[in-house]
Order: sequence, then structure tokens, then C-alpha cells
Amino acid sequence: MKQILMGNEAIALGLIHAGVDMVSGYPGTPSSEILGNFQKFRDKNKLEAYAQWATNEKVGFEVAYAGAISGKRTCATMKQVGLNVASDPLMSASYIGLKGAMLLISCDDPGFYSSQTEQDSRSFAKFARIPVLDPSTPQEAYDMVKLGVELSHEFESIVMLRPVMRVSHAREICEVDDGLHVKANEGDFERNIPRWGAVPPAGRFRQGLEQIDRLEAIKAWNWDHLIKPKTHALKGENVLCLTSGTGDGYVREALSELDIHADVLKLDMPYPLPKEKLEALFVNYDKVIVFEESFPCIEEQLSSPKLYGKLTKHVHVIDEFSKDKVLSAFANAGVIAPSHAYKSEKYDLELPKRPPNMCPGCPHRDVHYAITKVFKKKKSIYTSDIGCYTLGLNQAAIDTILCMGASISMASGFSISDPDKTVIATIGDSTFMHSGVAPLINAVYQNHKFILVILDNSTTAMTGRQTTPERTNPHQIDIKRIVEGCGVSCHEYVYEQDLNKTVDFMKSLQEMYKTATAPVVAVVREFCVLDKENATGRLGNVVVEVDEDKCVACDSCITNYKCPPMHYNDAGKMEIDPFLCAGCGSCLDVICPTDAFVKKEEK
Amino acid sequence: MKYQIVIAGIGGQGAVFLVKVLSIASAIKNQKCLGTENHGMSQRGGSVSCYVKIGDFYAPAIDEGQADLLIALEGNEALRNIQYLSKEKGVIVMNAPKNFPKVDFETHSIDAFKKAKANEFPIDALNVYMLGVTLALDPHFPFTCKEIEEAIRLMNAKVADKNIVVLHQGIDDAKDNK
Ligand code: SF4
Ligand code: SF4
Repeated sequence: MKQILMGNEAIALGLIHAGVDMVSGYPGTPSSEILGNFQKFRDKNKLEAYAQWATNEKVGFEVAYAGAISGKRTCATMKQVGLNVASDPLMSASYIGLKGAMLLISCDDPGFYSSQTEQDSRSFAKFARIPVLDPSTPQEAYDMVKLGVELSHEFESIVMLRPVMRVSHAREICEVDDGLHVKANEGDFERNIPRWGAVPPAGRFRQGLEQIDRLEAIKAWNWDHLIKPKTHALKGENVLCLTSGTGDGYVREALSELDIHADVLKLDMPYPLPKEKLEALFVNYDKVIVFEESFPCIEEQLSSPKLYGKLTKHVHVIDEFSKDKVLSAFANAGVIAPSHAYKSEKYDLELPKRPPNMCPGCPHRDVHYAITKVFKKKKSIYTSDIGCYTLGLNQAAIDTILCMGASISMASGFSISDPDKTVIATIGDSTFMHSGVAPLINAVYQNHKFILVILDNSTTAMTGRQTTPERTNPHQIDIKRIVEGCGVSCHEYVYEQDLNKTVDFMKSLQEMYKTATAPVVAVVREFCVLDKENATGRLGNVVVEVDEDKCVACDSCITNYKCPPMHYNDAGKMEIDPFLCAGCGSCLDVICPTDAFVKKEEK
Repeated sequence: MKYQIVIAGIGGQGAVFLVKVLSIASAIKNQKCLGTENHGMSQRGGSVSCYVKIGDFYAPAIDEGQADLLIALEGNEALRNIQYLSKEKGVIVMNAPKNFPKVDFETHSIDAFKKAKANEFPIDALNVYMLGVTLALDPHFPFTCKEIEEAIRLMNAKVADKNIVVLHQGIDDAKDNK
């Protein structure tokens, strides 16, 4: 049956058709829609399956892994930086193996569209010694989910699926299974202490050896089932292109559009590779060029003087692929003359900059504004974290961003290294649950003095508004009580659009900080403007205008507050774009030194 | 058939909706279709660009100098993406004011913001409105009005009627504008 599917939908459907009925993960672009779509298909087809967001990726992985060692077919989803968090259990689990099946999906982001780092999850698969499948389109992602689950079961190994953003967020007409013949699979944990509970070194040593054997068997399988059948199509050109994932599409399009002659061999499982067998193919070629995203995973496993790739500096080493980069690689390797077939001139006059920015009407903007207003830049350090509020960078309200939870641990560090400054840490509710609690305990235990503001909009907004623990179970899980449980009081402020009130709340924290001997912690109860359920009735309804006579073009609003509708008009005065303005009215007070923002009417 | 479309706009204008409609339309036409959405980090107000590749393609992204059509929901976003257009056959359909900078491509523009401000159509249907303008003005556009209407219905039957009215308004306004 044909269906139009986005990559992440195809993956979710593949999981259902592969008989997976236990999915756990943490959202992260570009992986976030997999679990949500799985829930959607499950509900539509009235299947019984577990699919829930975990507090973080490590937890998500461990939940799915327990399911797998009880014999179920399970899956954990995350993005590449999330895999860093889950790497701890992954390393051990790959030694121990499993009984049912477990697909680990880690989505990569070549080109850094929404990540701190580029990273290549395939390198992690290699490091952990588990096989990885690298799809190039939604259709392949669907097929590889099913293949991966089967392989996992057969080899008792976790199998990784590594789609990149251009696969997860691509849309294609896919051929998928008709109907459903899925039945819930039963888990039944069988006690086996030497296997599941082995303590180093004796037990693990044996498992380590077994892992190596398993890898050899998978390599042979990779050759027999995935690579060898494709070698028949090789035409005996002078150049061989080894491709993987999306690299393949760019190469194939460029070759056919520009009539360049080369053989292409796509490696669906870029790790583990049957090194000797592949290298034996090279005899027939003058040059072998490796096209892969993002790190040299295939290239690192092979060795030959004929090999050209990232390590030899013939292929680009950072950023996503393009056909232009394919041509450069061919030219660098001396196969074709330099070509600019895929280069065009950009518009070179200045265009309005639209850097990533928080939505109009978003409460985070007010909190950041109030912090910089009350805690002067010269005397403060602003640490922040991963989420929409990261975009407070635009307001110059953030000094550091490292990884999930680091705002709090780094605040601890700064309070020691630069004690004359006031450190103000900001973190969202989902990120706090993910990895903020442990560093807060650390700070309380060692009496580190800083201010922590938890921005609680009750959703994981940046990745598409997935539910948070507090949202699902508000009576059991409450940030205020978690903070109190860590040993400090938690000051609460319920957000209002009157910016003066947010500023006053920050002033009250400043007062408390003066006499504090431990972290001063606050939670701001907010909403996300895109979260219909929570924002209804709390969004504004005023139409705001700028009085041109009063506006002196001092830049104050646009540098310190930076709401997207604000821009300079032809007369050089500030103007509000009525189509972008959310009507919250926050900008009416405080932000303009000449009071040029005025209320025009109620919407 | 091979036809590549770049859709450019600002977060919140519904560029992704158009990708979905066009991929459904391709399926109706029995054509292969590969598209991709490039959500930036911002949900509202940041630049957004999406690609739709109809026909025999393997890579979801469109390279520079390749696109047949650029639909821009906002004029400056057209300029920002102009390098994707093919030198020989690239066409721009954009929402921009009359005094907008001239560029070296066949350009069709309409001031949709002005019409929305005058309440001639609801601004949240800007995407569908511009699709109507495209249907009227791009002679090489690979879909008929019927196919697009059917795609809009398949996509979301509940709001289809409203959308189709705006689609036709776009078509009519574009013809008057000529
Ligand atoms: S998605 Fe929600 S939390 Fe994120 S910037 Fe927009 S309003 Fe703020
Ligand atoms: S009222 Fe002011 S602060 Fe609120 S969205 Fe409009 S411009 Fe932004």
C-alpha cells in the first residue's frame, strides 16, 4: 500500500509493522516525531503498546533495554546529543546483548540545523560495537526499521538506526505493508545472573569475547545479504563511489545529471564492514571515493592507497552534503575538472536578519529581559540551558550554553571561580527533570550561592510540545516540591504579561540573594503560546503601535527585548508587524525609554 | 517529469502545509515525490525553507541553480533563496509590495499583505492564497487546479472548503493583477 510519509512517520509505522510494542525516548530534533507518531498509529489501530517519553535518554534507553532482555521487541528514540546521555548504558548493554529485540534510533543533524554539535551516531555504534543501518530516504527508513528489528533478534544485539535530518524530515510516497498482523509480544524475564548481572571482570570478559564473535558474524551477514548482491550491478568504471545514507542520493543525482561515469556501491550497514572483502573489490578501480555524512565512519574501517575521503581531505569534513560538495570531491580526487554546475549567485544586498528567536508573546522573553534589567551585565554571569529559552541569546541574556542540565552545574562552578559576580541560571521544566536535579542537589550539598530560575511552561516546547512528567501527573510530580526535596525553598511566580511584575519578582530574588548562603531557587509558572490548552485565556488581546514622534530609534527595544514583530520602517522608526504580533502587550511598559509603545485598541 | 520547488517563508506562515499539499498532489498524479522541511530553531518569525522534488530524485534537498519554481510567502525570503533557482527556467511567485527590487528571473508578485490588511482574505490562509496565485501565473506548474483542490480535501476535509475559497481568490486576484 502506498502512503505519503514523513521520515519519522515512516519509522513509527515501521516499528509497528516490525512488532515493536514498547517505545521509550526523549524528544530532540530531528527525532521527536517518531514516538508521537507511534502513539498516533497505535491509537488509530487500537493496539496495545507502551510508548512514553522518559525523563531523559539514559532512562529511555534503560526502560527499552529491560523490555528487550525480557524478550520483548522494543525501541529507544533520541537525537545524536541525546545518545551522549544514553551512552553509559549503551556501552554495557552492547557487551551483554539481549533476548528479544531492541532498535536504538539516534537521529543526526549534519549541518547543525538544531543542535550544538554535528556528531555522527555511527561512530558511537562503532565505539559500542553494535551494527548500524543508515537509511537515505523515508522508504528506506521504513524498510530498515523492520530489518533492524529482525537482525537485533537474530544476533541478540542492539541494532542502531541512524537517520539524518534529511531523512527524518523528508517526505516521500512510500510502499508500506497492508493492514496489520501485529500482536503484542509477551515479556518474561528469566533470571540469569551471570548474564544480566555479571560483575567485572570475569563475566564481562567472556561477554566481551562473545561480542567480538557476534560482530564477525554480523560482518559476514552484511557482506552476504547487503553488499554482495549489489556488486553484480557494478559496471567496471574506473572510479568506485562508496556511499552511505543521504550521501548516496547526492552522488547518484550528480552523476546522472552531469553524465559522470563511476560505479556506486551503497553500504546500508556502514558498521561493521567486511573489510577484506570490500578491499578486494578495489583491485578493479583506480580510485575509491567515500561519500558519507558526517564523520569518516566507513573510511576509518578501510585502508587502501586508492581511498579518497574526509581523512585524506578530499571530501568536506563538516556541514551537510550537497551535490556541489560531491563535485568538489570528484575534482579534488582528480577525477573531473573543477566544476561549478551547482553554484549560483546569492542575492548580495542586505536582507532583514531572522535569527532563531522566541515566539511573539512568549513568557521566556520577559524573564530574560527582567534578569538583565535587574542583574547588571558587568556584575553577573548568565548561564542557561537547552530549550526555547536558549534563544534569549538574542537578548544578550545568556553567557553560556553547554548541554542539558549544565546551567546549574556551571553556576556552581562560576560561584567558586568568580565569586564577586552574581550567577543567574535559567533552565526549562523539561530540562530540569532531564538533568537538572542532580546538579541542584550538588549545589545544595556544597552551599553554592547563585540564583536558579526554572522556567516552567509545562511542555517540551522547542521539539514540538511533547508532554512532560509534571504535565501528565501534576499532583505527584511538582517542580516546587522537587526543589524543596533537594533541600532549599522554591519561590514561585505565576507569570503575567505585565513586565513590571516580572521585573519586581527578579528584584525580590536579588534581595534574598544578598543574605543567602545556598542557592536561591525560583520557579516561574508560564505557558507556551503554541500550547492551545494551556495558553488559552492567558494570551493578550491588545494591538500595539509605536508612536513615531516618540521613537528616537535608540535600538533599546530591539536589542534588549527583541520581539519578532519589531522592525525599523522606511522612516527609520520602530514599527510592529501586525501579522506577527501576538497582542500580549508586554512591550507597553518598561522596555522603551521614551514610552513610544502605545496601545492602539483591544483586538 | 522532473520539477523542483522551493517554498520560502517565515515560521508560522504555513510553508510545511504546502509541502504536504504538493506531495499529496504528486501522489494523485502518480508521480514520485521527495520533499523536505527545514525548520530552523525558531517556531515563529524565523526564516523557513522547504523543498519539493517531483519525479525521479534520490536526495531530498535541492541544490543551488536547480529549482524550477520558488514560491515565497514573503518577498525578502524570496531574495534569500534566489540562488536555488535555475538560471534558464527559474520562476518566482512571491508576496511582495509593488516597489520591490527587480531580479533576473521571471517574477510574478502580488501584495498579499496589503490585501490581508484590508481583510480581503484571512492572513492565516496566506499559504493557500499564494498557491492559488501560483496556479494562475506559473505556466509550467505541474498541477491543475482540480488536483490541488483534491489534495487540499485529502489533507484536511474539515477546513477544505474554506481553503478552496481562498485558493480561488488567489487565482482571481492574480489574473486581475496581470
Ligand atoms: S514554542 Fe513556546 S516556549 Fe518556545 S518560543 Fe514559542 S512560545 Fe516560547
Ligand atoms: S505586544 Fe509587543 S511584546 Fe507582545 S507580541 Fe506584540 S510586539 Fe511582541
